[in-house]
Amino acid sequence: MTQMIKKSANDLYRNFRYEISEKVGAKSLLKCIQCGVCSSGCTVTEYVDMQPHRVVASCLLGLKEEVLASQAIWTCSLCHRCTERCPKNVDYSFILALLRNMAVKEGKIPKEYSGTVVTIYNNGFVVPYTGGLKDNIDRRRKRLGLPDLIPPDLAEIRLIIEETGLGDLAKEQEDDK
Amino acid sequence: MEYALFLGCTIPLKMPHLEKAFRDVAAILNVNLKEMEGVSCCPEPVSLQSLNIDTWMALGARNLAIAEKMGLDILTICSGCYETLKTVSVLLEEDKEYLEKINGILKKIGYNYTGKTKVYHFVELFSQPDWLAKLKELTVKPLDDLNLAVHYGCHLVRPSKIMQFDHPEKPEKIDIILETLGAKTIEFANKLECCGFCARLQEEIGDKLVEDKMTELCELEEEVDALIAVCPACTTQYDRKEKLVARKTGKELDIPVLYLAEIMAIALGVELEDLNLKQRSVKPDKLIKKLTT
Repeated sequence: MTQMIKKSANDLYRNFRYEISEKVGAKSLLKCIQCGVCSSGCTVTEYVDMQPHRVVASCLLGLKEEVLASQAIWTCSLCHRCTERCPKNVDYSFILALLRNMAVKEGKIPKEYSGTVVTIYNNGFVVPYTGGLKDNIDRRRKRLGLPDLIPPDLAEIRLIIEETGLGDLAKEQEDDK
Repeated sequence: MEYALFLGCTIPLKMPHLEKAFRDVAAILNVNLKEMEGVSCCPEPVSLQSLNIDTWMALGARNLAIAEKMGLDILTICSGCYETLKTVSVLLEEDKEYLEKINGILKKIGYNYTGKTKVYHFVELFSQPDWLAKLKELTVKPLDDLNLAVHYGCHLVRPSKIMQFDHPEKPEKIDIILETLGAKTIEFANKLECCGFCARLQEEIGDKLVEDKMTELCELEEEVDALIAVCPACTTQYDRKEKLVARKTGKELDIPVLYLAEIMAIALGVELEDLNLKQRSVKPDKLIKKLTT
Protein backbone atom coordinates (compact mmCIF):
# COMPACT_ATOMS: atom_id res chain seq x y z
CA MET A 1 0.00 0.00 0.00
CA THR A 2 1.12 3.57 0.61
CA GLN A 3 4.86 4.01 0.75
CA MET A 4 6.66 6.63 2.79
CA ILE A 5 8.18 9.18 0.44
CA LYS A 6 10.98 11.42 1.70
CA LYS A 7 11.71 14.39 -0.49
CA SER A 8 13.35 17.71 0.11
CA ALA A 9 11.12 20.76 -0.41
CA ASN A 10 13.40 21.90 -3.22
CA ASP A 11 12.69 18.75 -5.18
CA LEU A 12 8.94 19.25 -5.28
CA TYR A 13 7.41 20.21 -8.59
CA ARG A 14 5.38 23.10 -7.25
CA ASN A 15 3.70 24.03 -10.48
CA PHE A 16 2.02 20.61 -10.80
CA ARG A 17 -1.25 21.74 -9.19
CA TYR A 18 -1.56 24.58 -11.69
CA GLU A 19 -0.69 22.42 -14.69
CA ILE A 20 -3.66 20.27 -13.72
CA SER A 21 -6.10 22.96 -12.63
CA GLU A 22 -5.65 25.11 -15.74
CA LYS A 23 -8.01 22.70 -17.52
CA VAL A 24 -11.61 23.81 -17.03
CA GLY A 25 -12.81 20.46 -15.67
CA ALA A 26 -9.94 20.18 -13.19
CA LYS A 27 -10.05 23.61 -11.54
CA SER A 28 -11.76 21.96 -8.60
CA LEU A 29 -8.49 20.25 -7.59
CA LEU A 30 -7.50 23.31 -5.59
CA LYS A 31 -10.58 23.08 -3.37
CA CYS A 32 -9.82 19.67 -1.84
CA ILE A 33 -10.08 19.61 1.96
CA GLN A 34 -8.72 16.05 2.36
CA CYS A 35 -11.89 14.72 3.97
CA GLY A 36 -11.41 11.29 2.38
CA VAL A 37 -14.96 10.74 1.14
CA CYS A 38 -13.56 9.85 -2.29
CA SER A 39 -11.36 7.11 -0.86
CA SER A 40 -14.01 5.68 1.45
CA GLY A 41 -16.46 5.17 -1.41
CA CYS A 42 -13.89 4.14 -4.02
CA THR A 43 -14.60 0.80 -5.74
CA VAL A 44 -10.91 -0.04 -6.02
CA THR A 45 -9.68 1.53 -2.78
CA GLU A 46 -8.24 -1.78 -1.50
CA TYR A 47 -6.30 -2.36 -4.68
CA VAL A 48 -4.45 0.92 -5.26
CA ASP A 49 -0.96 1.94 -4.21
CA MET A 50 -2.25 5.46 -3.49
CA GLN A 51 -5.85 6.16 -2.48
CA PRO A 52 -7.77 8.95 -4.25
CA HIS A 53 -7.38 11.59 -1.52
CA ARG A 54 -3.66 10.81 -1.40
CA VAL A 55 -3.36 11.25 -5.14
CA VAL A 56 -5.00 14.66 -4.82
CA ALA A 57 -2.76 15.60 -1.87
CA SER A 58 0.28 14.52 -3.85
CA CYS A 59 -0.79 16.64 -6.82
CA LEU A 60 -1.19 19.63 -4.53
CA LEU A 61 2.21 19.01 -2.96
CA GLY A 62 4.00 18.69 -6.27
CA LEU A 63 4.85 15.00 -6.27
CA LYS A 64 4.48 14.81 -10.04
CA GLU A 65 6.87 11.95 -10.65
CA GLU A 66 5.31 9.76 -7.96
CA VAL A 67 1.74 10.42 -9.10
CA LEU A 68 2.42 9.79 -12.78
CA ALA A 69 4.33 6.60 -11.98
CA SER A 70 1.66 5.29 -9.60
CA GLN A 71 -0.46 2.30 -10.49
CA ALA A 72 -3.39 4.07 -8.77
CA ILE A 73 -4.14 6.39 -11.66
CA TRP A 74 -4.71 3.39 -13.96
CA THR A 75 -6.51 1.04 -11.53
CA CYS A 76 -9.67 3.16 -11.28
CA SER A 77 -12.86 1.44 -12.50
CA LEU A 78 -14.41 4.79 -13.45
CA CYS A 79 -17.47 4.32 -11.22
CA HIS A 80 -17.56 8.10 -10.58
CA ARG A 81 -18.62 7.78 -6.94
CA CYS A 82 -15.72 10.04 -5.90
CA THR A 83 -16.88 12.85 -8.18
CA GLU A 84 -20.50 12.26 -7.19
CA ARG A 85 -19.90 12.44 -3.44
CA CYS A 86 -17.20 15.10 -3.06
CA PRO A 87 -18.52 17.87 -0.78
CA LYS A 88 -16.25 20.38 -2.52
CA ASN A 89 -17.15 19.23 -6.03
CA VAL A 90 -13.65 18.06 -6.85
CA ASP A 91 -14.03 16.14 -10.10
CA TYR A 92 -11.61 13.32 -9.31
CA SER A 93 -12.62 11.16 -12.31
CA PHE A 94 -11.80 13.98 -14.70
CA ILE A 95 -8.58 14.85 -12.87
CA LEU A 96 -7.58 11.21 -13.12
CA ALA A 97 -8.17 11.23 -16.88
CA LEU A 98 -5.94 14.29 -17.08
CA LEU A 99 -3.22 12.60 -15.01
CA ARG A 100 -3.39 9.59 -17.32
CA ASN A 101 -3.01 11.92 -20.33
CA MET A 102 0.10 13.40 -18.68
CA ALA A 103 1.55 9.96 -18.00
CA VAL A 104 0.90 9.00 -21.64
CA LYS A 105 2.86 12.04 -22.82
CA GLU A 106 5.79 10.71 -20.80
CA GLY A 107 5.42 7.32 -22.44
CA LYS A 108 3.98 5.63 -19.35
CA ILE A 109 1.05 3.66 -20.80
CA PRO A 110 -0.08 0.27 -19.50
CA LYS A 111 -0.59 -2.19 -22.35
CA GLU A 112 -4.23 -2.65 -21.33
CA TYR A 113 -4.85 0.91 -22.48
CA SER A 114 -2.56 1.58 -25.42
CA GLY A 115 -4.23 -0.76 -27.92
CA THR A 116 -7.54 1.09 -28.09
CA VAL A 117 -6.33 3.89 -30.31
CA VAL A 118 -4.71 1.40 -32.69
CA THR A 119 -7.95 -0.55 -33.02
CA ILE A 120 -9.99 2.60 -33.60
CA TYR A 121 -7.40 3.95 -36.07
CA ASN A 122 -7.54 0.73 -38.09
CA ASN A 123 -11.24 -0.12 -37.82
CA GLY A 124 -13.15 2.97 -36.72
CA PHE A 125 -14.70 0.65 -34.16
CA VAL A 126 -13.07 -0.46 -30.90
CA VAL A 127 -13.63 -4.04 -32.09
CA PRO A 128 -11.63 -5.39 -35.07
CA TYR A 129 -13.73 -5.34 -38.24
CA THR A 130 -11.55 -6.49 -41.11
CA GLY A 131 -10.97 -9.63 -43.17
CA GLY A 132 -12.33 -12.88 -41.78
CA LEU A 133 -13.53 -11.22 -38.58
CA LYS A 134 -15.65 -8.84 -40.62
CA ASP A 135 -17.11 -11.72 -42.65
CA ASN A 136 -18.09 -13.56 -39.47
CA ILE A 137 -19.72 -10.49 -37.95
CA ASP A 138 -21.61 -9.71 -41.16
CA ARG A 139 -22.83 -13.31 -41.44
CA ARG A 140 -24.03 -13.36 -37.85
CA ARG A 141 -25.91 -10.10 -38.33
CA LYS A 142 -27.53 -11.35 -41.51
CA ARG A 143 -28.71 -14.52 -39.73
CA LEU A 144 -30.43 -12.33 -37.13
CA GLY A 145 -32.08 -10.26 -39.85
CA LEU A 146 -30.15 -7.12 -38.87
CA PRO A 147 -29.29 -4.38 -41.40
CA ASP A 148 -25.76 -4.27 -42.85
CA LEU A 149 -23.32 -2.28 -40.73
CA ILE A 150 -22.41 1.07 -42.21
CA PRO A 151 -18.60 1.22 -42.21
CA PRO A 152 -17.00 4.09 -40.28
CA ASP A 153 -15.36 6.82 -42.38
CA LEU A 154 -11.74 5.89 -41.68
CA ALA A 155 -10.12 8.87 -43.42
CA GLU A 156 -12.02 11.32 -41.21
CA ILE A 157 -11.42 9.34 -38.04
CA ARG A 158 -7.69 9.03 -38.73
CA LEU A 159 -7.38 12.74 -39.38
CA ILE A 160 -8.94 13.52 -35.99
CA ILE A 161 -6.61 11.06 -34.23
CA GLU A 162 -3.59 12.62 -35.94
CA GLU A 163 -4.68 16.22 -35.40
CA THR A 164 -5.21 15.65 -31.68
CA GLY A 165 -1.79 14.12 -31.19
CA LEU A 166 -2.35 10.38 -30.99
CA GLY A 167 -1.28 9.62 -34.57
CA ASP A 168 2.21 8.49 -33.60
CA LEU A 169 0.92 6.15 -30.91
CA ALA A 170 -1.65 4.66 -33.31
CA LYS A 171 0.85 4.17 -36.13
CA GLU A 172 3.91 3.30 -34.09
CA GLN A 173 2.14 0.29 -32.66
CA GLU A 174 0.78 -0.65 -36.03
CA ASP A 175 4.39 -0.91 -37.25
CA ASP A 176 5.29 -3.06 -34.26
CA LYS A 177 2.80 -5.71 -35.24
CA MET B 1 -40.82 9.77 -32.68
CA GLU B 2 -37.63 9.63 -34.71
CA TYR B 3 -34.07 9.22 -33.46
CA ALA B 4 -30.59 8.75 -34.88
CA LEU B 5 -29.67 5.28 -33.64
CA PHE B 6 -26.13 5.14 -32.26
CA LEU B 7 -25.17 1.46 -32.10
CA GLY B 8 -21.60 1.77 -30.85
CA CYS B 9 -19.23 -1.19 -31.29
CA THR B 10 -19.68 -3.92 -28.69
CA ILE B 11 -23.36 -4.60 -29.30
CA PRO B 12 -23.48 -4.61 -33.12
CA LEU B 13 -20.14 -6.41 -33.55
CA LYS B 14 -19.96 -8.77 -30.59
CA MET B 15 -23.50 -9.09 -29.21
CA PRO B 16 -25.83 -8.47 -32.17
CA HIS B 17 -28.59 -10.51 -30.51
CA LEU B 18 -28.95 -7.60 -28.05
CA GLU B 19 -29.33 -5.18 -30.96
CA LYS B 20 -31.98 -7.47 -32.42
CA ALA B 21 -33.94 -7.42 -29.14
CA PHE B 22 -33.73 -3.65 -29.00
CA ARG B 23 -34.85 -3.20 -32.61
CA ASP B 24 -37.80 -5.51 -31.97
CA VAL B 25 -38.83 -3.42 -28.94
CA ALA B 26 -38.45 -0.16 -30.86
CA ALA B 27 -40.54 -1.52 -33.75
CA ILE B 28 -43.35 -2.61 -31.41
CA LEU B 29 -43.32 0.78 -29.69
CA ASN B 30 -43.23 2.54 -33.04
CA VAL B 31 -39.97 4.39 -32.46
CA ASN B 32 -38.56 5.36 -35.81
CA LEU B 33 -34.81 4.70 -35.95
CA LYS B 34 -32.54 6.25 -38.55
CA GLU B 35 -29.15 4.64 -39.19
CA MET B 36 -26.13 6.95 -38.85
CA GLU B 37 -23.70 7.14 -41.80
CA GLY B 38 -19.97 6.85 -41.17
CA VAL B 39 -19.98 7.17 -37.37
CA SER B 40 -17.07 5.77 -35.36
CA CYS B 41 -16.73 4.23 -31.92
CA CYS B 42 -18.38 6.72 -29.52
CA PRO B 43 -15.31 6.67 -28.60
CA GLU B 44 -15.18 4.44 -25.57
CA PRO B 45 -14.89 6.44 -22.34
CA VAL B 46 -12.23 4.48 -20.50
CA SER B 47 -9.06 4.10 -22.46
CA LEU B 48 -9.37 6.67 -25.20
CA GLN B 49 -10.21 9.40 -22.71
CA SER B 50 -7.23 8.20 -20.67
CA LEU B 51 -4.89 8.46 -23.64
CA ASN B 52 -5.98 11.89 -24.82
CA ILE B 53 -9.03 13.91 -23.78
CA ASP B 54 -8.93 15.99 -26.97
CA THR B 55 -9.05 12.91 -29.24
CA TRP B 56 -11.94 11.55 -27.20
CA MET B 57 -13.83 14.85 -27.35
CA ALA B 58 -13.22 15.46 -31.05
CA LEU B 59 -14.29 11.97 -32.16
CA GLY B 60 -17.35 12.25 -29.93
CA ALA B 61 -18.19 15.70 -31.32
CA ARG B 62 -17.93 14.34 -34.88
CA ASN B 63 -20.55 11.71 -34.02
CA LEU B 64 -22.77 14.40 -32.49
CA ALA B 65 -22.28 16.55 -35.60
CA ILE B 66 -23.44 13.70 -37.84
CA ALA B 67 -26.71 13.51 -35.86
CA GLU B 68 -27.00 17.28 -35.99
CA LYS B 69 -26.75 17.15 -39.80
CA MET B 70 -29.58 14.59 -39.77
CA GLY B 71 -31.62 16.99 -37.64
CA LEU B 72 -32.19 14.26 -35.02
CA ASP B 73 -31.36 13.54 -31.40
CA ILE B 74 -29.29 10.45 -30.62
CA LEU B 75 -30.63 7.27 -29.05
CA THR B 76 -27.96 4.99 -27.54
CA ILE B 77 -28.25 1.36 -26.46
CA CYS B 78 -25.01 1.16 -24.45
CA SER B 79 -24.08 2.96 -21.23
CA GLY B 80 -20.53 3.60 -22.46
CA CYS B 81 -21.75 5.35 -25.62
CA TYR B 82 -24.30 7.20 -23.51
CA GLU B 83 -21.63 8.45 -21.12
CA THR B 84 -19.23 9.56 -23.83
CA LEU B 85 -21.74 11.27 -26.09
CA LYS B 86 -23.65 12.92 -23.28
CA THR B 87 -20.47 14.09 -21.52
CA VAL B 88 -19.07 15.52 -24.75
CA SER B 89 -22.35 17.28 -25.54
CA VAL B 90 -22.72 18.74 -22.04
CA LEU B 91 -19.08 19.84 -21.73
CA LEU B 92 -19.04 21.45 -25.16
CA GLU B 93 -22.23 23.29 -24.32
CA GLU B 94 -20.67 24.62 -21.11
CA ASP B 95 -17.27 25.53 -22.54
CA LYS B 96 -17.66 27.53 -25.75
CA GLU B 97 -13.93 28.16 -26.05
CA TYR B 98 -13.29 24.41 -26.09
CA LEU B 99 -16.11 23.91 -28.60
CA GLU B 100 -14.36 26.39 -30.88
CA LYS B 101 -11.10 24.47 -30.56
CA ILE B 102 -12.82 21.17 -31.37
CA ASN B 103 -14.64 22.75 -34.31
CA GLY B 104 -11.27 23.95 -35.60
CA ILE B 105 -10.40 20.28 -36.04
CA LEU B 106 -13.81 19.22 -37.34
CA LYS B 107 -13.75 21.99 -39.97
CA LYS B 108 -10.92 20.18 -41.74
CA ILE B 109 -13.27 17.32 -42.52
CA GLY B 110 -16.30 19.45 -43.29
CA TYR B 111 -18.19 19.46 -39.96
CA ASN B 112 -19.28 22.22 -37.63
CA TYR B 113 -20.97 21.17 -34.41
CA THR B 114 -23.25 23.85 -33.01
CA GLY B 115 -24.28 21.98 -29.87
CA LYS B 116 -27.85 21.05 -30.72
CA THR B 117 -27.71 17.25 -30.42
CA LYS B 118 -29.38 15.75 -27.36
CA VAL B 119 -28.34 12.27 -26.29
CA TYR B 120 -30.65 9.64 -24.76
CA HIS B 121 -30.22 6.11 -23.51
CA PHE B 122 -33.32 4.04 -24.20
CA VAL B 123 -33.89 3.70 -20.43
CA GLU B 124 -34.16 7.47 -20.22
CA LEU B 125 -36.69 7.45 -23.02
CA PHE B 126 -38.89 4.52 -22.03
CA SER B 127 -39.08 5.50 -18.35
CA GLN B 128 -40.94 8.71 -19.20
CA PRO B 129 -44.66 8.61 -18.22
CA ASP B 130 -46.13 8.56 -21.73
CA TRP B 131 -43.82 5.75 -22.81
CA LEU B 132 -44.62 3.78 -19.65
CA ALA B 133 -48.30 4.08 -20.47
CA LYS B 134 -47.58 2.80 -23.96
CA LEU B 135 -45.51 -0.07 -22.57
CA LYS B 136 -48.31 -1.06 -20.27
CA GLU B 137 -50.83 -0.96 -23.07
CA LEU B 138 -48.66 -3.08 -25.38
CA THR B 139 -47.61 -5.71 -22.83
CA VAL B 140 -48.99 -9.04 -24.02
CA LYS B 141 -47.01 -11.33 -21.75
CA PRO B 142 -46.88 -9.68 -18.30
CA LEU B 143 -43.81 -10.66 -16.29
CA ASP B 144 -46.00 -11.31 -13.23
CA ASP B 145 -44.15 -14.33 -11.94
CA LEU B 146 -40.66 -12.90 -12.18
CA ASN B 147 -38.35 -11.61 -9.47
CA LEU B 148 -35.76 -9.47 -11.15
CA ALA B 149 -32.57 -7.88 -9.82
CA VAL B 150 -31.54 -4.67 -11.55
CA HIS B 151 -27.95 -3.64 -12.23
CA TYR B 152 -27.75 0.05 -13.15
CA GLY B 153 -24.02 0.21 -13.65
CA CYS B 154 -22.06 3.40 -13.16
CA HIS B 155 -22.09 5.29 -16.42
CA LEU B 156 -25.83 5.44 -16.83
CA VAL B 157 -26.31 7.62 -13.75
CA ARG B 158 -22.99 9.18 -12.76
CA PRO B 159 -21.67 11.80 -12.65
CA SER B 160 -25.16 13.21 -12.16
CA LYS B 161 -24.13 16.78 -13.00
CA ILE B 162 -23.58 15.45 -16.55
CA MET B 163 -26.05 12.55 -16.88
CA GLN B 164 -28.92 14.46 -15.22
CA PHE B 165 -31.64 11.86 -15.41
CA ASP B 166 -31.86 9.48 -12.48
CA HIS B 167 -30.76 9.57 -8.85
CA PRO B 168 -26.99 8.87 -8.77
CA GLU B 169 -27.17 6.77 -5.60
CA LYS B 170 -30.77 5.58 -5.63
CA PRO B 171 -31.75 5.16 -9.27
CA GLU B 172 -35.20 3.77 -10.07
CA LYS B 173 -35.89 4.14 -13.78
CA ILE B 174 -35.11 0.55 -14.79
CA ASP B 175 -37.12 -0.78 -11.83
CA ILE B 176 -40.06 1.35 -12.96
CA ILE B 177 -39.89 -0.01 -16.51
CA LEU B 178 -39.79 -3.62 -15.25
CA GLU B 179 -42.61 -3.06 -12.79
CA THR B 180 -44.70 -1.56 -15.58
CA LEU B 181 -44.20 -4.83 -17.46
CA GLY B 182 -45.51 -6.69 -14.43
CA ALA B 183 -42.29 -7.95 -12.84
CA LYS B 184 -41.28 -7.60 -9.23
CA THR B 185 -37.87 -5.98 -8.68
CA ILE B 186 -35.88 -6.69 -5.56
CA GLU B 187 -33.75 -4.57 -3.29
CA PHE B 188 -30.34 -5.92 -2.35
CA ALA B 189 -27.21 -4.59 -0.67
CA ASN B 190 -24.88 -4.79 -3.68
CA LYS B 191 -27.38 -3.28 -6.11
CA LEU B 192 -25.32 -0.21 -6.90
CA GLU B 193 -21.88 -1.79 -6.94
CA CYS B 194 -19.78 -1.45 -10.06
CA CYS B 195 -19.29 -4.54 -12.28
CA GLY B 196 -15.55 -3.92 -12.44
CA PHE B 197 -15.28 -4.31 -16.22
CA CYS B 198 -13.42 -1.02 -16.56
CA ALA B 199 -10.85 -1.85 -13.87
CA ARG B 200 -8.60 -3.35 -16.51
CA LEU B 201 -5.33 -3.47 -14.67
CA GLN B 202 -6.33 -6.12 -12.14
CA GLU B 203 -8.61 -8.94 -13.13
CA GLU B 204 -9.27 -9.82 -9.48
CA ILE B 205 -11.17 -6.57 -8.92
CA GLY B 206 -13.90 -7.68 -11.33
CA ASP B 207 -13.81 -11.25 -9.98
CA LYS B 208 -14.45 -10.02 -6.45
CA LEU B 209 -17.21 -7.57 -7.43
CA VAL B 210 -19.03 -10.20 -9.49
CA GLU B 211 -18.63 -12.83 -6.78
CA ASP B 212 -20.02 -10.51 -4.10
CA LYS B 213 -23.08 -9.49 -6.11
CA MET B 214 -23.95 -12.93 -7.47
CA THR B 215 -23.40 -14.64 -4.12
CA GLU B 216 -25.75 -12.20 -2.43
CA LEU B 217 -28.40 -12.72 -5.11
CA CYS B 218 -28.16 -16.51 -4.82
CA GLU B 219 -28.46 -16.39 -1.05
CA LEU B 220 -31.59 -14.22 -0.95
CA GLU B 221 -34.67 -15.87 0.46
CA GLU B 222 -36.72 -15.18 -2.63
CA GLU B 223 -35.35 -16.81 -5.76
CA VAL B 224 -34.02 -14.30 -8.30
CA ASP B 225 -34.95 -15.18 -11.88
CA ALA B 226 -32.48 -12.90 -13.64
CA LEU B 227 -30.11 -9.99 -13.30
CA ILE B 228 -31.06 -7.22 -15.72
CA ALA B 229 -28.40 -4.88 -17.12
CA VAL B 230 -28.45 -2.10 -19.72
CA CYS B 231 -24.83 -2.01 -20.79
CA PRO B 232 -23.04 -4.62 -22.92
CA ALA B 233 -19.92 -4.40 -20.74
CA CYS B 234 -21.83 -5.08 -17.50
CA THR B 235 -23.91 -7.78 -19.19
CA THR B 236 -20.91 -9.67 -20.47
CA GLN B 237 -18.90 -9.13 -17.28
CA TYR B 238 -21.53 -10.73 -15.01
CA ASP B 239 -22.38 -13.50 -17.43
CA ARG B 240 -18.79 -14.55 -18.13
CA LYS B 241 -17.36 -14.06 -14.66
CA GLU B 242 -20.29 -15.61 -12.81
CA LYS B 243 -19.44 -18.91 -14.47
CA LEU B 244 -15.68 -18.52 -13.88
CA VAL B 245 -16.12 -17.54 -10.24
CA ALA B 246 -18.51 -20.45 -9.65
CA ARG B 247 -15.93 -22.86 -11.03
CA LYS B 248 -13.12 -21.31 -9.00
CA THR B 249 -14.93 -21.10 -5.67
CA GLY B 250 -17.25 -24.10 -5.95
CA LYS B 251 -20.21 -21.82 -5.25
CA GLU B 252 -23.46 -22.58 -7.02
CA LEU B 253 -24.05 -19.39 -8.95
CA ASP B 254 -26.70 -19.77 -11.63
CA ILE B 255 -28.50 -16.47 -12.14
CA PRO B 256 -28.82 -15.62 -15.84
CA VAL B 257 -27.95 -12.12 -16.99
CA LEU B 258 -30.27 -10.44 -19.48
CA TYR B 259 -30.07 -7.14 -21.29
CA LEU B 260 -33.07 -4.92 -20.53
CA ALA B 261 -34.28 -4.92 -24.14
CA GLU B 262 -34.43 -8.73 -24.08
CA ILE B 263 -36.81 -8.90 -21.15
CA MET B 264 -38.83 -6.00 -22.58
CA ALA B 265 -39.11 -7.87 -25.88
CA ILE B 266 -40.44 -10.94 -24.05
CA ALA B 267 -43.14 -8.89 -22.33
CA LEU B 268 -44.05 -7.19 -25.59
CA GLY B 269 -44.67 -10.52 -27.26
CA VAL B 270 -41.48 -11.34 -29.19
CA GLU B 271 -41.16 -15.13 -29.45
CA LEU B 272 -38.53 -16.61 -27.11
CA GLU B 273 -36.89 -18.56 -29.93
CA ASP B 274 -36.27 -15.31 -31.80
CA LEU B 275 -34.25 -13.89 -28.92
CA ASN B 276 -31.12 -16.04 -28.65
CA LEU B 277 -31.56 -16.30 -24.90
CA LYS B 278 -29.24 -19.30 -24.76
CA GLN B 279 -26.38 -17.28 -26.17
CA ARG B 280 -24.67 -16.71 -22.82
CA SER B 281 -22.52 -18.60 -20.32
CA VAL B 282 -25.20 -19.02 -17.67
CA LYS B 283 -28.14 -20.49 -19.59
CA PRO B 284 -31.53 -19.11 -18.57
CA ASP B 285 -33.17 -22.56 -18.65
CA LYS B 286 -35.18 -22.07 -15.47
CA LEU B 287 -36.34 -18.67 -16.65
CA ILE B 288 -37.40 -20.00 -20.04
CA LYS B 289 -39.30 -22.81 -18.34
CA LYS B 290 -41.06 -20.32 -16.09
CA LEU B 291 -41.99 -18.18 -19.08
CA THR B 292 -43.36 -21.05 -21.09
CA THR B 293 -45.43 -22.87 -18.48
